[in-house]
Amino acid sequence: MFKGSPKSLPATPSWCARLCIALLLALGVALSLAQSSDVAGIYGPDVSDEAQTGGEIIVGLVYEPPALDPIHQQADATTALTVLMYQGLVYTDWDSDVQPLLATDWTVSDDGLTYTFNIREGVKFHDGSDLTAADVKYSYDYLRDPSSGGAGSVYLNAIDEIVVVDDYTVEIRLSSPNSAILAGLDNKLSGIFPEGYWETPNAQAMLNQQSVGTGPFMLEEFLPNQSITLVRNPDYWQPGVPYLEAITFVSVPDGNSLLNGLRTERIDLSLLARPQDSEQLTGIDGLNIEEQVSWVQKSIDLQAGAGVTANEQVRQAIALAIDKEQILQAAVQGYGAVIGLMPAGMQDRWGVPLDELPNQGPDIERAQELLTEAGYPDGLDVKITTIIGYDWMTPAAETLAAQLARVGINATIERQDLGVWINNWGARSFTDITFNDWGTIPDPSLLFDAHFQMLPVGNDFRNWENEQATELLTLAKQATGYEERHEYYAQVQELMAESAPTVPLFSSYIVAVSQDYVRNYDQHPSGWYFGLIKTWLDD
Amino acid sequence: MAKFLVTRILSMTVTAIAVSVVVMLLVHAVPGNIVQQMLGQLGAGSLEARASLESYFGLNRSLPVQYWDWVSTLLSGSLGTSWNRGIPVEQLVFTAFQVTLQLGLLSLAFATVVGVILGIISSLTKGRWPDTLIQSFNILGLSLPSFWVGAMFLVIASQYFDWGPPIRYRSFAQDPTVNLQIMLLPVLSLGLFNAAAISQFLRELIIGTERQEYVRTAYSKGLSGPHIYVKHIFRNVLIPLVSFIGVISIGVLGGVVAIESVFNLPGVGRLIISALQTRDYPLVQGGVLVLAGVTMLVNLIVDVLYVVIDPRITYS
Amino acid sequence: MIDAGLETTTYRPLTGARAALRRSWRILSTSRDLAIGLVLTALLAMVLLFPGLLAGHPPNDIDPSRALLAPSAQHWFGTDEIGRDVFSRVIWGTRVTLGMVSVALAIPALIGFVLGLVAGFVGGPIDNLVSRTVDLILSFPSMITAVIITGILGPGLRNGVLALCIVYIPMFYRVARSATMTEANLSYVEAARSLGVRDATTMFKHVSRNIVGQLVIQFTVLFPAAIQIAAALGYLGLGVQPPTPDWGAILNQGKNYLFNAPWISVFPGLSIVVAALGLTLLGRGLQNILDPRGR
Repeated sequence: MFKGSPKSLPATPSWCARLCIALLLALGVALSLAQSSDVAGIYGPDVSDEAQTGGEIIVGLVYEPPALDPIHQQADATTALTVLMYQGLVYTDWDSDVQPLLATDWTVSDDGLTYTFNIREGVKFHDGSDLTAADVKYSYDYLRDPSSGGAGSVYLNAIDEIVVVDDYTVEIRLSSPNSAILAGLDNKLSGIFPEGYWETPNAQAMLNQQSVGTGPFMLEEFLPNQSITLVRNPDYWQPGVPYLEAITFVSVPDGNSLLNGLRTERIDLSLLARPQDSEQLTGIDGLNIEEQVSWVQKSIDLQAGAGVTANEQVRQAIALAIDKEQILQAAVQGYGAVIGLMPAGMQDRWGVPLDELPNQGPDIERAQELLTEAGYPDGLDVKITTIIGYDWMTPAAETLAAQLARVGINATIERQDLGVWINNWGARSFTDITFNDWGTIPDPSLLFDAHFQMLPVGNDFRNWENEQATELLTLAKQATGYEERHEYYAQVQELMAESAPTVPLFSSYIVAVSQDYVRNYDQHPSGWYFGLIKTWLDD
Repeated sequence: MAKFLVTRILSMTVTAIAVSVVVMLLVHAVPGNIVQQMLGQLGAGSLEARASLESYFGLNRSLPVQYWDWVSTLLSGSLGTSWNRGIPVEQLVFTAFQVTLQLGLLSLAFATVVGVILGIISSLTKGRWPDTLIQSFNILGLSLPSFWVGAMFLVIASQYFDWGPPIRYRSFAQDPTVNLQIMLLPVLSLGLFNAAAISQFLRELIIGTERQEYVRTAYSKGLSGPHIYVKHIFRNVLIPLVSFIGVISIGVLGGVVAIESVFNLPGVGRLIISALQTRDYPLVQGGVLVLAGVTMLVNLIVDVLYVVIDPRITYS
Repeated sequence: MIDAGLETTTYRPLTGARAALRRSWRILSTSRDLAIGLVLTALLAMVLLFPGLLAGHPPNDIDPSRALLAPSAQHWFGTDEIGRDVFSRVIWGTRVTLGMVSVALAIPALIGFVLGLVAGFVGGPIDNLVSRTVDLILSFPSMITAVIITGILGPGLRNGVLALCIVYIPMFYRVARSATMTEANLSYVEAARSLGVRDATTMFKHVSRNIVGQLVIQFTVLFPAAIQIAAALGYLGLGVQPPTPDWGAILNQGKNYLFNAPWISVFPGLSIVVAALGLTLLGRGLQNILDPRGR
């Protein structure tokens, strides 16, 4: 493969390039082999020879993306599809590891401030132009500039400067060491575009009609409220991939129509609207049901800046009143895992075990004591907010209200339209308790920083404004070794559990259902459709 | 007639302008805008990003300026561009209306055919068992919530017949067979209620007409039953029937909203609801305006039909 | 309001309890609709007034360990996804749903009545202004108006009632206005005027009395349709706030378990049918008595 040949190496006489050459020469054939298998291993293990090319798959889509702009639309529904069309330098694989994508490899300077990326050669954009280092610099410069209007800029605010070394080498220089920078370059709210793309007129709107990425699929047609059709990119850089000729995502917001479509073979593959829906599909021949632990968490957030929940003891009492297991049961009929402060998919690597965290309920007596100490011996009134369209929140809120009633807290529930909710969220002005549903790329820095650091790095929507947490999060981000980072994040989690600005409840499973002729679909824990890249259809 | 049409169209225009102002004000009064949803929780804190997107959509301008901007777009013969979809609003609304109108017209046709047949049978067999049966059907039909009936149909079809409507929408022009399969259950769910309404209305109407003087005279002259039916009764029944169907058609248009959501149809109700949720102002405003226009047009057509059917009626 | 209407028609010329009874029996026996409608409505009224007597469990009693149980002797209508007794929720929901619809029709009936009376009697610019506003509302199908209003204002009992009010004011207004206009041309109004009685007095004392009957009929005619709109709002998730038991809201929850727990959806749906049926029959019966020409 061309990636292995020394002539593709940068001619820059920088020390790291020299190191690369030295390494290459030393490893010789071994490296070349490793790299070619690296190409094949991208987006999951290689498929055996029996894989058939061609065919169109019908995928049921519960949440239709509002638009197909990977940069300016933060909705997960958008990212789920755009990862098939747009690619970054790296991507996060099924095991939460950052892997090369449009970068073949990279080196980090000793001070941890300079990342040098070798860019893959022979990659073409959907418009036919070649990918070069200039496109990479242009795209990430656009992404990290907040005035571009992309939410992903918060992931990249450690970048000081991006330098084109040569056509296929880029240096990313940081203002301070940042161990999460690779994860930040990932696919979420990201993607490399041809240089100058965003200056074309109607650049944002045009993405609903034409894709301009480097991904394995290209946009064919977007019919709002109906369907989105992607077709195979004939010039795609991974040999033999993808197998499918076309993917049609059909918008099916109604869960029953979706189940009916799966039962009657009108839908080939779909993620379920609710994981517990898989019970409605049991006993049906020819359906494969796959459950996947996710990086998404369902939680409640507490307003630490105003009202009764500004009192830490009240927040602790609320945390202690909660029986997470019961809420998991109510919300998704038990199709998920109770969590501490990490989404289930990150618990093994980063999480503190639940029994080592403070304020894990239910402990009704202690909760009542705390309320009395806080000056509410006769109980108090709180408001719980849920978001319309998130079906799990209503039964969860009803159960939470019943649990709070046991310690003397009288809760009323208010369902809010997403637009109203997000308005209150951004203004940091939600009342008392709100349900929340959010996910992350599996790096604790990306998970916590924007939410729990004080300005200007983060924006603490819960008004927790905890200086100690901010300090710990900064140290953790700048630490380089896993052990060191892990220790800081463990402290952060203990601090958060103690003060309870948020109470993560559970991570629900992602359930993918497919007909048995759909082969090799492997659900990614993000809930995105990476799996379709190596899916094939058996006739 | 011409004068009537001119006055009506003028008053419709005034109403349309009022609708546009009211909708604009209401939509902007709802907390939150499209930018916050684009940025989400992650970007909600970035004031710079927010300001940049707000100026991209022109949201930083005053409300009268935004209204005037929209009106100028309208005057230039366009409904503007959807903020999320990046597609001209008229294109989105037109596509969605085709679905809604087809569903509405099919339901209306089904309801009319079934309703008229049942109504005639029931009036002919007044007091006997077919009449009792049909009347029971009518009253039951009028009490059934169509969205609930639709959901029940879906379960029954799936559980007991192993059948479900095709998932991928196809218009009649694209694929008539698939299209009709998709429309089957929604048309039935919406049609039942309206068939009952028409049948009920027609029965009362025919029985009322039979009691009229001239019909009795015709009977006493020894004219045959069918002759009287066709010549006297049906003619007199036609106008009120048409006007009743006109009234119903507005209701059908409304009933479509819930049915679209049950059966997953890409109609105008879903379009407006989703646009409202994402705060896609041009799409909400355009969709609502067109909807109001269509409703007013249906009303006008019904009124004009009166004149066509019965030249004795004149508007001045 | 329904009871009041009945009282005036069946009991008015009281010549003794037995005579009254016989009289109402005659009316009921000639009108099967009215009889069945009355029985059903009375039943609903019972449930509405005393839900606690019938419901075996509190409507919001949560227990996830008994979730999604099929109907049984213990739970007649089964249980929902957090183990609440569906029968109890439907019973308590009667009060919420029918209460909401009653209020949401009574308010527009009153407003429409006053507006229609004034507009029909006074005419001129007032009539014009109100009628144009009503046209504006009527330029949308009522279901869509309700959805848009609750969509904009947000869900909740108050906003749902408000949406229904806005939808139904025009319908009462039109009836009141046309009835008033007919009355205004009658000789007694002229006579009153020539006797120097103030218009306002004539309007509110005499004319209003004569058009109330038609509004009562309109109320019963609109009631079944209003139940359906209210239920549809609930079904679309735009109705009352949880955990309030409302038929539409139960349907909204039940739709997530249509295939494995259809009972959550079937029974509230049937309740809507029964309620609509009872009121339709009652309306038809009343129409027959108050306005026999219609037949």
